[in-house]
Amino acid sequence: MGALTDKYCIVGVGETPHMRPSNRTTFSMACEAVKKAMADAGLEPREIDGMTSYQAGDSTSSSHVATALGIRLNYSLDIVGGGSSTEALVAHAIGLLEAGYCKVIVIFRSMNGRSGRRMGGQAPSGPVPPVRAEGDAQFYMHWGWTSPAQWFGMSAMRYLRDTGTTTKAFAEVAVAHRYHASLNPKAIMRTPITIEDHQRSRWVVKPFRLLDCCLETDVAAALIVTSRERAYDLRQPPVFIMGGTARTMAPNSAWNYSRPEIHYVAGNYGRNRLFGMAGISHKDIDLISCYDAFTFTTLIQLEAYGFCGKGEAGEFVKGGRLQIDHELPCNLSGGHLSEGYTHGISMVIENVRQLRHRVDDACPGWAEGKHTYDRAAGCRQVKHARIAACLGWGTETTSSSLILRGISA
Amino acid sequence: MAAPPTRPLPVADDLSRPFWEAARQHRLVVQRCQACGYFNHPPRSACDACLSPQLCFEPVSGRGTIYSFTVMHQPAVAGFAEQLPYLNILVELDEQPLLFMVSDLPIGEREKVRIGARVEVCFEEIDATLTLPQFRVV
Repeated sequence: MGALTDKYCIVGVGETPHMRPSNRTTFSMACEAVKKAMADAGLEPREIDGMTSYQAGDSTSSSHVATALGIRLNYSLDIVGGGSSTEALVAHAIGLLEAGYCKVIVIFRSMNGRSGRRMGGQAPSGPVPPVRAEGDAQFYMHWGWTSPAQWFGMSAMRYLRDTGTTTKAFAEVAVAHRYHASLNPKAIMRTPITIEDHQRSRWVVKPFRLLDCCLETDVAAALIVTSRERAYDLRQPPVFIMGGTARTMAPNSAWNYSRPEIHYVAGNYGRNRLFGMAGISHKDIDLISCYDAFTFTTLIQLEAYGFCGKGEAGEFVKGGRLQIDHELPCNLSGGHLSEGYTHGISMVIENVRQLRHRVDDACPGWAEGKHTYDRAAGCRQVKHARIAACLGWGTETTSSSLILRGISA
Repeated sequence: MAAPPTRPLPVADDLSRPFWEAARQHRLVVQRCQACGYFNHPPRSACDACLSPQLCFEPVSGRGTIYSFTVMHQPAVAGFAEQLPYLNILVELDEQPLLFMVSDLPIGEREKVRIGARVEVCFEEIDATLTLPQFRVV
């Protein structure tokens, strides 16, 4: 167990609605998300003194948001990054708190991922105009190979061939996450789908169909990290940080150049550190979030983090294993495939709510932790949610993770 | 004045200039470590295998196999809409395991794509200053 296990907690979470488009600035959305996270925790602006965010040149800054909310910062930092940044910034926050740089830290992501900068490469209104292909990109962009679906698709295609897995395994992930979204009033895509719906959906980038790909949304989300001692006085049941990894890298950081094959992803290098620091094993995990930029990224990380063996994820996810009330419920909010796209922070937020037993579902008493566990009535609270793993993905070669526990664990 | 480009085009830099100059002469070269013999692509400032900075470009056979591929159906990239759906291949060069180059496949070759198919380099001349090494199925 790590020296800092359970010493720091996530105490507040909040987000704006997922919109397409938001018709708002990233600044305005960030302020709303941070305010909601403070209200959730029961914290006043004067009690916050640290703020960090991640972005891809498409967002607002911590200093700007803090000033607007009446927060005087002792620490601020805005980093470049997308997926895998949330878990890494939580690790970073622990370091800052431990070293005494500040006492209560907000982490946010605000993006107009549909109406502004689109990760798939397109401009808001259509194809992206020709760009200069520089750095490593000078060796592939001129072939029209320009987007994450194409990059990760290359790994996925080889994975299918090497392991004999079929795209029905991708479908299992899509169906599970969509089912969870159907229980989430905040989710954009709430109509349940079947394996057949997935198999019939159109190709986007073979081997990925439409239902393999995440949404593009306009949204801001925030969470707050502080010490255990401070957490005890706040409004919500604390969620303890047991362990994590922060942007673990494969030996070669270039996209699609992992070794010994291109689908040997960075989580393989982080898994022992994650579970070692948390001092638990896979059988202790009640639910997970697993970054679903594409169904494949969820699938491959189940292997990387050791929930199943190499090449076994297709068999592992069969029969709805990732669905609520089954063995390893995954992405309970619907994830990036069906709730909306936040570059990972929304999945950590959902796990926090699950571990509090206060998931914001259709149950009238959810805010007091009263759930019916009746899925037909719209309850999405996992019944015995004690420990959750958050498996973040940046690229094949970059990954971050967290293990969290609630007070009942 | 040259017409504006209709698709993304590579911009050579200090590390890659010999690669693009050779391509213009229809030669495929890859940066090779003079200390350990490892081929590095894309070019590096230090060898991926041994960190030596002694790196020189050497001719390679231009032959390899298709390690993986994708088929793009989305009109996301300017200059490619009329080619949809188009193929991208990841070529593993014969010189070294996992020595990769990305390419498309010429129209007319696309039915032949499969993992493990043999390919060889060919060259597409864009203009007087730029030639792209491309691969075709053999």
